[in-house]
Amino acid sequence: MSSKQFFIKRYKKLGWEYKQVQLTQAIRVNTINSNLDTVVSRLTSLGIELEKISFLNDGFWVKKSKFSLGATAEYLLGLYSIQEAAAQIPATLFTNQKGKTILDACASPGGKTVQLANLMNNTGVIIALEIKERKMFALTNHLERCRVTNTAAYNMDAKEVTKLDMKFDCVLLDMPCSGNPITDKNWFNKRTIDDVHINARRQRQILNQAVKVTNNGGEIVYATCSMEPEENEQNIDWALGRLPVKVEPIKCYGEKGLTNVFDKQLNTSIKDCKRVWPDQTQGFFVCKLKKQEDKNEDII
Amino acid sequence: MKILYDFVAQFNAKLQLDEIQIVKNRNRFYLLPKHLKQHAPKGFFYAGTYLGAVKGRSFFPSFLLLQMIAQQKANKLIVDKKTSWLFICGRDIFKKGIIKDSNLKKDDYTLILNDRNECLGFGKMLINLRAEIDLNKIAVKNILDIGDFLRREKKKQKNSIIKN
Repeated sequence: MSSKQFFIKRYKKLGWEYKQVQLTQAIRVNTINSNLDTVVSRLTSLGIELEKISFLNDGFWVKKSKFSLGATAEYLLGLYSIQEAAAQIPATLFTNQKGKTILDACASPGGKTVQLANLMNNTGVIIALEIKERKMFALTNHLERCRVTNTAAYNMDAKEVTKLDMKFDCVLLDMPCSGNPITDKNWFNKRTIDDVHINARRQRQILNQAVKVTNNGGEIVYATCSMEPEENEQNIDWALGRLPVKVEPIKCYGEKGLTNVFDKQLNTSIKDCKRVWPDQTQGFFVCKLKKQEDKNEDII
Repeated sequence: MKILYDFVAQFNAKLQLDEIQIVKNRNRFYLLPKHLKQHAPKGFFYAGTYLGAVKGRSFFPSFLLLQMIAQQKANKLIVDKKTSWLFICGRDIFKKGIIKDSNLKKDDYTLILNDRNECLGFGKMLINLRAEIDLNKIAVKNILDIGDFLRREKKKQKNSIIKN
């Protein structure tokens, strides 16, 4: 069985019939630098056709554009960011972000960091971590272009976040993951189930460390653009059994999280996570966790 | 700090910055809000408002600093839409593209703003603006424009390909 057949069969078992999807490009207006109406009007006057994304406050589908959205004056002035629609969901899930101390644990290229700064109106503090030095450039370029002023960025592995000796009200875990075949046409040729297991383990290590630096009662948003349950529902199931967290219900685009994966029953609260199968967006998974009393245990 | 203030003074402008909040990290200056300065651990790569970098005897401003100067009384030129676009693409500015000027002289430094008062970068005057009658003369030499955000990315990608 080829890798492609293997994964497609798995998706079918999970309830999704594989189909190649044409992604629609999306942008997000940076509300600290302008407002929705002004940016839409400016882009419309350039001949760009936009359509409001029904499940997002500041997001728009790009229905038609004669030129690159990454090369307009409005883009260079930081009035909007190019950000995939499903990827715009996680940062919106925290309760009242303004004035809080937030960790963005795997930050580059910075779309969600900038989005958080917008939601916080540049108040409070964002600590943004990125493990790869070469990716720090994209992150800091994004911060400067979009006029983010409440963020400190560190070239650091999220697994070492306890070294910062800080506690956070909110933690965004946009996990490094296996990705998905919708955004990467070569995905089936290069991915194996072993990769999925390696990534799932790394994600658990990061989640374990992130829980340690979250204040009691603090919120953790866990997200991946992987469609593999090992990196999503099964990792949350693992966390619920070992870490002081519980799943919080969220209201956002997507279907219920899977509570039965390949005939294995998971914690029923995982239904409150959201799984997005590819359609106009890429495949995506998001879950909001609340930190319970810290027992200070090291799991991994 | 002197090098930063000297740079600002080139635009006939003054910036009141709270020096306690300014942090120099390697060759780069950052302005940190109080809350961030209190909470952000040492060893950051980037923080707060990036002001610019010192390389040798020169100061290379950030666009955030240029925007801060643009909010003050300073040398500014407002240019039309077409000129704005050409400037962002790295081109110099013809006198005919300037729609609102001040009495700038040859060798003065000036901020370049679009017709919405948004700062696009800065340049150096090549003529005495009001004395020059030839509209097709290059008035401002482009020194830095916001198109640099894209050029930096491309340069970085190119360097990374060479390294690989």
